[in-house]
Amino acid sequence: MLEYLWLVPALPLAGFFALFVTEGKLPDKIVAVIGAGSVGLAALVALGAGIEFVQSGEASYSQTLWTWMAVGNFAPSISLYLDPLSLVMTGVITGVGFLIHLFATGYMWKDHQEPEGLSRFFAYMNLFVFAMLMLVLGDNLLVLFLGWEGVGLCSYLLIGFYHRDPENGYAARKAFVVTRVGDTLMAIGLFLLFRELATLDIQTALGDAAQLDSGMATAIGLLLLGGAVGKSAQVPLQTWLPDAMAGPTPVSALIHAATMVTAGVYLIARMKGIYDLAPAAQFAVAIVGLVTLLISSFTALTQTDIKRILAYSTMSQIGYMFMALGVGAWSAGIFHLMTHAFFKALLFLASGSVILALHHEQDIFKMGGLWRKLPVPFASMLIGSGALVALPFITSGFYSKDAILLTAHGYEHHGGLFWFGGVLAAVMTALYTTRMMVVAFFGETKTEPHDSSRINMWGPLVVLCVLSIGGGWLGIGVLDGLLGPINEFSHAHPMALTTMILPLIGIFLGWPIFRGQIDLSRLVGSTFGDALRRFWQSGWAFDWVYDRLFVKPFVWVARVNKGDAVDLVFRITAAVTRGLHHIGALTQTGRLRWYAANMAIGLIVVVLIVASA
Amino acid sequence: MAIEVPVEHVLLVAAALFLLGLLGVLVRRNIIFLLMSLEVMMNSAGLAFIAAGAKWGAPDGQIMFMLILALAAAEVAVALGLVLQISRRFDTLDVDAASELNG
Repeated sequence: MLEYLWLVPALPLAGFFALFVTEGKLPDKIVAVIGAGSVGLAALVALGAGIEFVQSGEASYSQTLWTWMAVGNFAPSISLYLDPLSLVMTGVITGVGFLIHLFATGYMWKDHQEPEGLSRFFAYMNLFVFAMLMLVLGDNLLVLFLGWEGVGLCSYLLIGFYHRDPENGYAARKAFVVTRVGDTLMAIGLFLLFRELATLDIQTALGDAAQLDSGMATAIGLLLLGGAVGKSAQVPLQTWLPDAMAGPTPVSALIHAATMVTAGVYLIARMKGIYDLAPAAQFAVAIVGLVTLLISSFTALTQTDIKRILAYSTMSQIGYMFMALGVGAWSAGIFHLMTHAFFKALLFLASGSVILALHHEQDIFKMGGLWRKLPVPFASMLIGSGALVALPFITSGFYSKDAILLTAHGYEHHGGLFWFGGVLAAVMTALYTTRMMVVAFFGETKTEPHDSSRINMWGPLVVLCVLSIGGGWLGIGVLDGLLGPINEFSHAHPMALTTMILPLIGIFLGWPIFRGQIDLSRLVGSTFGDALRRFWQSGWAFDWVYDRLFVKPFVWVARVNKGDAVDLVFRITAAVTRGLHHIGALTQTGRLRWYAANMAIGLIVVVLIVASA
Repeated sequence: MAIEVPVEHVLLVAAALFLLGLLGVLVRRNIIFLLMSLEVMMNSAGLAFIAAGAKWGAPDGQIMFMLILALAAAEVAVALGLVLQISRRFDTLDVDAASELNG
């Protein structure tokens, strides 16, 4: 069964090669068909594989494609591994990925900055989908790491897609360097794991994990968490994500909201066996999630760029997932990953439509009154926002977030604290989402929109709307059986009602505030209020601190050491050789008689030496 | 009745010829004279071989002389081609004119 599983990653790879070798010479229409079609076919194959897998009732299926290399006992293979976790991830990557690709065929069509770049764009996007699929389907940690670095590369390439503006190149480099910090930690963690267990095969490693002593398990768990933190933009390596919004909006939707940034969540969920042995590391996961979701939801409240608001909200939602994994709500975390992929992709694509209709205006305070002019994006944003806020019963976000918060409440170590933090962030989420919706879509029109979207743009929006609403029931119905019970608490939980109601307060509070019916200008305008606002807007001054702590000293060292002390050895060697060359070259006059005389003198010297000996 | 010539005398003549040839190579700038001087040097070496072969009654000396003759012929064939080229390129027979291949 499932012998065709390899097709799922192979199709986007084929799409990448087709676009790569033609070097952008194909007509745009064919590029769009290859770019979106390869991912669409992969999604169909993945759907078929998923249905067959679920019907077979097997716990997992693995397929070895070939041996990567064989060095002594170390022979990692390129093999795929399908289990419920990777199936969910594959479904999200190919399904949501296809919708975003489809949207991108409209969004990137005759793009204002890179009209020639459509082929390059889809080549990168397809390569990304391939790398992400290798990440989640990889049977051993080496394949996982290959995908992990592959998505990092594609993220870098796509953030800097508009490469004519140096700012974007800076943002791309920042993302690359910051995630590299996490990747280094993760690589060290993998080395440790290999040294201890002598295998990189994930299932074997998890099976043998009991051999690890608890200190080593904690160390490995923390190092892998470091990698996950970098990739998933969690505190303290979160600073790259807001800047990553420099890329085209479909990129933000696919890579920096729906899939790649959830790779960290996937990694921790995949290595669950290690974290089970290392409660300290697992607690650290929960703490990272809690801190991130609080920091970023406060930050989102003060941003003015619609994409940055969504970026911070992505960080905070991934914070929920980390918290879920930390407090043991494993399947709820993955469930939230899925619903988040639906509604965040929807929000990003809808905001992309708005941005396109407003000729690349991203400041929400320059929008206003759009709900009448752009009905489809508005309805999509509304549904996406509802899911983000977790409106009870009708949205998918509610089911997943509710499950996380209720499990957190029952967590043995400070469960109440995690619950409170989560609910506080949920209130803030409701507040900033209301602010975004009210400011951008209500009030008076400030910029006249020109909606030119066609079915390839609003079609994906409609599908994602359905998923953002229905994804919750899908999760309860299908994932419950696949991943294990998502919400172990009935809604008779003592905190169920509070958890459900509290986020609504944010909406009811936010509506009058941002409509201007409640005047908070004295509070916001005060010295303290203004300082707090600026502190939040800067993302809790993380960038400022890192700039002082790392960037400035590094630049200083680089400037002081411009001559490069280490290089001195090589440069002196080169200078001496060059001097000797000049001396030697003096004898090469080009004069025949000079050479003859030298030969004669040399001969006499040799004869004298021989004669005297 | 042959006159015995002491081998030392012949070697002295050969050495004198060799030095004369070398001097010619070093001081003459005209490439024709240069080649002629080279020829003198080679013949001096040939003379030394003949003398040595006669002294020990071995045929090797004469064989070596034959070899030197063949070598000289070959050298002249190549050298004359070079002379022709130099005179065409530089419009002179001064060997110092062809000194571009330096340092």
